[in-house]
Amino acid sequence: MELIDRYVLEVGKHLPQKSRADIEAELRSTLEDMLQDRSHKAGRPVDDAMVIDLLKEYGAPDTVAATYHSTQYLIGPRLYPFFLFVLKIVFTVLIVVLLVALGIQLATQPMAGPELAKAIGKGLLGILSGAIQAFGNIALVFAILERVLPASEFKLDEEKKAWDPASLMKEPERDEVKPWGPIVAILFTAAAMIIFNLYPQLIGVGFLKDGEWTFIPALTAAFFRWMPYINVLWALQIALHVLLLRQGRWQAPTKWFSIALDAAGIAVGCLLLTGPAIVAFSPEALRATGIFDARTVGILSQNVNQVVRVIIAIVVIVEGVDVVKNVVRQIMKRA
Amino acid sequence: MGSAENLENTLQELRRGLIVLAVLSQLGKEQYGYSLLKLLSDKGLAVDQGTLYPLLRRLESQGLLQSAWKIEEGRPRRYYVSSKEGQKLLPQLKEEWNGMVSTMGKLLK
Repeated sequence: MELIDRYVLEVGKHLPQKSRADIEAELRSTLEDMLQDRSHKAGRPVDDAMVIDLLKEYGAPDTVAATYHSTQYLIGPRLYPFFLFVLKIVFTVLIVVLLVALGIQLATQPMAGPELAKAIGKGLLGILSGAIQAFGNIALVFAILERVLPASEFKLDEEKKAWDPASLMKEPERDEVKPWGPIVAILFTAAAMIIFNLYPQLIGVGFLKDGEWTFIPALTAAFFRWMPYINVLWALQIALHVLLLRQGRWQAPTKWFSIALDAAGIAVGCLLLTGPAIVAFSPEALRATGIFDARTVGILSQNVNQVVRVIIAIVVIVEGVDVVKNVVRQIMKRA
Repeated sequence: MGSAENLENTLQELRRGLIVLAVLSQLGKEQYGYSLLKLLSDKGLAVDQGTLYPLLRRLESQGLLQSAWKIEEGRPRRYYVSSKEGQKLLPQLKEEWNGMVSTMGKLLK
């Protein structure tokens, strides 16, 4: 029976811990029953040859264990379409941005022959490596979502079951939240948090010198004083979108929560506008690149903060109008 | 994919649903895995043990079967029997099956 014990142990190695002991006990009992049956039919006691024949017939331990596993997914069928959707957006944005950056680089630096080929090769390798990293990060986020979003709370399945062709005739429901919206928002907010907190030096002007990418950081110390507040806002944005993903529709509390977050964002925007410069390039660093002439250095170092302030002001105004519209809509709904 | 492989795959798919009905039909009275395997085989339905045992566990997790360990002939054996839910489902499945047999009979004439 030693062979049977070893076989059962081998099968057990490939089984999940939770059900291992139970399946092992049932397998041992079955193999013993089968052996007893064969011994009666053969009219001789059980011997090693009989055991070997039986085990050979029963199958390799990993194959036997595999029959007890249900199909397991890293990203299951319910989230896979959204995974592809996000992947397409991110890849398109990433590749376009990196290609434009590479184009600017090639256009601003006079290169020819092998040097040009080397720069193009490096640029393309950078795009490939960026795409692989983005793919890995998105796959990781979706693999986590696959495990933390219970099937019962994920509205996609229910929507499909209850779908009625008559719904095509109705006006689309304003409060309904399609799952891809919050998923995209979560991914981009998380990406912004990672870049601004861990790699702030990447926010600036990048250039290729002697085959190495160098970045001149643009954000000043004044900007980083606001970073804790911005982080809190981003964390709350992620929480809001996780909530929307679970609820599947906008409700009054989530609407007000969103309005409050937008208002807080406007407040931070106003503080950034009225405080000291949040973006600056030092003329020395720009000159050291050897790319810009004295005039361009002057324009960039003097005007960059003004340009950023104008952009922030536009965003603040647009957001302000949006907040007012949403508040009015909420009040009208109540009335 | 050769025609023999195609035949084997199609037969496997056909049997997959059929075995659930076969198992439920025989578990009005409790059976342990190997005795059920022999019972089905004696009645003409040879089922691979790699199919039957995981299926018994799945049906139990769905609440269609109940199981209990018993010591018999000095050996622990896990006995399975239809649960109330399984007993309720069986006549409905039989009716569906009879309908399918009749339809397929007409289609395959």
